[in-house]
Amino acid sequence: MTTPALNVKNLTVRIDTEGRRLTLVDNISFSINAGSATGLVGESGCGKTMTAMAILGLLPESGVSVRCDGIEVNGKDISRLNTAQRRSVLGRDISMIFQQPATALDPVFTIGQQIAGVVRRHIGGSKQHIRQTMLAALDSVGFSQTEDIAAAYPHQLSGGMRQLAMIAMATVCKPAVIIADEPTTALDSSTRTLILQQLKSLQTLQQTAMLFISHDLNVVRQVCGEVMVMYCGRLVESTDCQNLFSHARHPYSAGLLSCIPQISTTRPAPVTSIPGQVPAATELPPGCHFSPRCNRTEAQCRISVPKPHDEDGRGAACFNPL
Amino acid sequence: MNMSGQTNQPPLLEVRDLSLSFNQQEQLAVDRVSLSITQGSTLGLVGASGAGKSSIARAILQLVKPDSGDILFKGKEIHRMNPQELKMCRQRIQLVFQEPSASLSPRRTVEQTLLEPLQHFAIGDSNFRYEKALHVLDTVGLDQSAMQRYPHQFSSGQQQRIAIARALITDPELLIADEAVASLDVSIQAQILQLIQVLQKDFGFTFLFISHDLAVIRQIADDVAVMYQGQLLEHSSADRFFSGPAHPYSKTLLSFAQGKTPTHRPGDKRYLERSRRKAINSSACLFAGFCPEKMQVCEQVEPAIHAIQNKNQDALEPHCVKCHLYSEVNTYEF
Amino acid sequence: MTRDTWQRLRSDRYGMSGLIIVIIFAIIALCVWSGLLGQGWSEVSGERFESISNRHWFGTNLLGQDILQRTLFGTATAFEVGLLVTICSTLLGTVLGGLAGWYSHGWLDEIILWVKGVLDSIPFYLFAAAIAFALRGSPWAMHLAMIITFWTTTARIIRGEVMRIKQREFIEAAQAIGLPGFTVLFRHVLPNTFHILLVQGTIVFVAAINTEVILSFLGLGIQDGVSWGLMLAESSQEVLTGHFGNFLAAGISLFLLLMGFNLLADSLQDALDTRGAFN
Repeated sequence: MTTPALNVKNLTVRIDTEGRRLTLVDNISFSINAGSATGLVGESGCGKTMTAMAILGLLPESGVSVRCDGIEVNGKDISRLNTAQRRSVLGRDISMIFQQPATALDPVFTIGQQIAGVVRRHIGGSKQHIRQTMLAALDSVGFSQTEDIAAAYPHQLSGGMRQLAMIAMATVCKPAVIIADEPTTALDSSTRTLILQQLKSLQTLQQTAMLFISHDLNVVRQVCGEVMVMYCGRLVESTDCQNLFSHARHPYSAGLLSCIPQISTTRPAPVTSIPGQVPAATELPPGCHFSPRCNRTEAQCRISVPKPHDEDGRGAACFNPL
Repeated sequence: MNMSGQTNQPPLLEVRDLSLSFNQQEQLAVDRVSLSITQGSTLGLVGASGAGKSSIARAILQLVKPDSGDILFKGKEIHRMNPQELKMCRQRIQLVFQEPSASLSPRRTVEQTLLEPLQHFAIGDSNFRYEKALHVLDTVGLDQSAMQRYPHQFSSGQQQRIAIARALITDPELLIADEAVASLDVSIQAQILQLIQVLQKDFGFTFLFISHDLAVIRQIADDVAVMYQGQLLEHSSADRFFSGPAHPYSKTLLSFAQGKTPTHRPGDKRYLERSRRKAINSSACLFAGFCPEKMQVCEQVEPAIHAIQNKNQDALEPHCVKCHLYSEVNTYEF
Repeated sequence: MTRDTWQRLRSDRYGMSGLIIVIIFAIIALCVWSGLLGQGWSEVSGERFESISNRHWFGTNLLGQDILQRTLFGTATAFEVGLLVTICSTLLGTVLGGLAGWYSHGWLDEIILWVKGVLDSIPFYLFAAAIAFALRGSPWAMHLAMIITFWTTTARIIRGEVMRIKQREFIEAAQAIGLPGFTVLFRHVLPNTFHILLVQGTIVFVAAINTEVILSFLGLGIQDGVSWGLMLAESSQEVLTGHFGNFLAAGISLFLLLMGFNLLADSLQDALDTRGAFN
């Protein structure tokens, strides 16, 4: 069995606010192999971005507690590193693509300068070499006028192009793991499809492991082989994409899928939705967090926390799966 | 032009040849757009961001002044109305915005927010207004306890319900939803769409639903109008549109929405780079640069709007397209 | 919202100590105004330069007046100047800044900005001196001078905020039902600037008291009554002869009150900041 590119073990994130300790990420474990893309899906507030930030070590220190049994990139545990060591890992072994390229890119530097900065930090080399690497990265994401793009400032590019530049920056050092956090949410549908194609082909080419965070299941389907569904800080289902779309086993996943509007030639049936609302982090129901909204609840659902069905952490974490 | 409606009364809202520009920019935000909405129906207005959809909404609400063209509400031109009629018009047309948290005044309670339109239009006395506020809250699925709370104390789905309640309170005839579900999570979006369907079926409201999401439009629209860089490219019934649109741009939008990458797109990789440059050549089709079915005439002459009909469907379902492909023949087999 | 703010404020020890200091001084001021304390500030009740004793807890000054009485009265003066200047200049600044921001780039904005520019270019103490001279004899000359010049800072801040807030959708919603501009400005826009005004208010209060001290040094301070500034001015001579009573009493009081306000202002700013990491 090969070492997975990313292996997260029992990650828990808690914050202290207004005198209370809230659990935002509750004992999450998963692994992603090189060359695979796994989606992390859930609605706002479910903890997916928190998970990504915790993996990268980007959460503030005061008021936040991050506990885990290990976060391993290619076998090397990065969770116990100090700030300086962590900084050398970010960008080189593991990097992130953010949702808003407009704010993630520095407006006072050109695209070329920013990418070159990453290269200089982690790879080094002569000025020539750095420039070549930078231009090659821009080319690899599909730009044909690489010199022009390198000389441009972020505000001179459209949203889609900025995102491609971000992808170039995140992949220039050929990291083992990429975490993409809603990279296409801010883009319109035509640009979105192109960006996703580009990301996917690059990921396959470089055999990078990708954790793709999104609230949009359709987008995840286009890019990922595996998918994990998150609800109120817990992983409720973890399976491969095909399987989820055809036979979702957790009531929440099934509910979520049925909410997605479809395009069909005939007039679709009236919209269905999941009754109730996502509980606030301060008022999480005991036992299975989804039980108050679930139509398959049994007595034990309100008392104990269901664990994933299968041994290797896959399947649905449910006492009464579909 | 009525698309799927069979009624003979004048459309509730009609836009004729509307043009709008901002700060004397060269490119028009809205470029000679004409459309109409029948009472009781829902028109889905689609297009990418910047296509001009929101600008039309704002022109209808008199928030911006058009450069030229007319907007008619119940057959009467808005710019010919006297102040009293204008005020009545404002009462009858309401808007729901994209960001629920941004569209509600943060320092006002729900009660104050709901009562404000009634107070402004001097509708009823204070008892009546209070009762009416409770009534609309009930319609959107919220209870009395919401009245004294502030917007930030609600979830985004609830905030959007409050925004819809505010839009309903003056008994409008036309509701404009500008990307009203775009920033909501999928399950909350579904709940709001359900609410909209109730408003459509049980209450018979007329909607102008603006969205970039074709799947959402499919759920609730009777007719579809497609905009691109300020121009209206296609207008047809929803059933017609989703079985096979006429305009190449609509076809592209539809395949992207279905997750398919369309074939034969010239300069695919350069698509993004080219979109940096805005088309300022007004005597050509705006979409020519990216059109897979482009002909030579498309880069030289601006297409006219052609009314076409599907051979297999009855004459009462006309369909209009702004494209040179349809200039000769006006009956098509789809 | 105010409950969250209060909780955050309560948990900040520095902020709370600042608040307590300010409240103590405020109570003293109230007592002076209602005649309970400090009434003997002008009477000559002892020998000159008496040292600390049971009868004169802080000793006496050059004229034999009780320094403690004068210090207590000075508290009331500080608050009077502070409150009057803060309230009036904040009101003026908010209204003018609000109008300028709402009608930004229009003629009203241009006029207000021009007036602001002119006022800001005049050296303050020169201006204060001119007003004090023009209104000589009036007890309000100093306050007026401050109000006329302090409003500009508030106006600048409010103008910027209003220009930002008016882009937001709830303003568009208000306009969509046809509410007139003034109503939208005063009902929807300005209430959202209160958190800034609160912090700005404490800063202006501090500036007002400080300014009074300097104006008193220049002889342009309060005419009837005593203030810490006046006491400090008096002490500049006395200190040379080894008498520190006035200096210490006024100086320490001033220091304490200003520090209290500064701690409070910083802590208020943090407490009102709703853009913390996990909000």
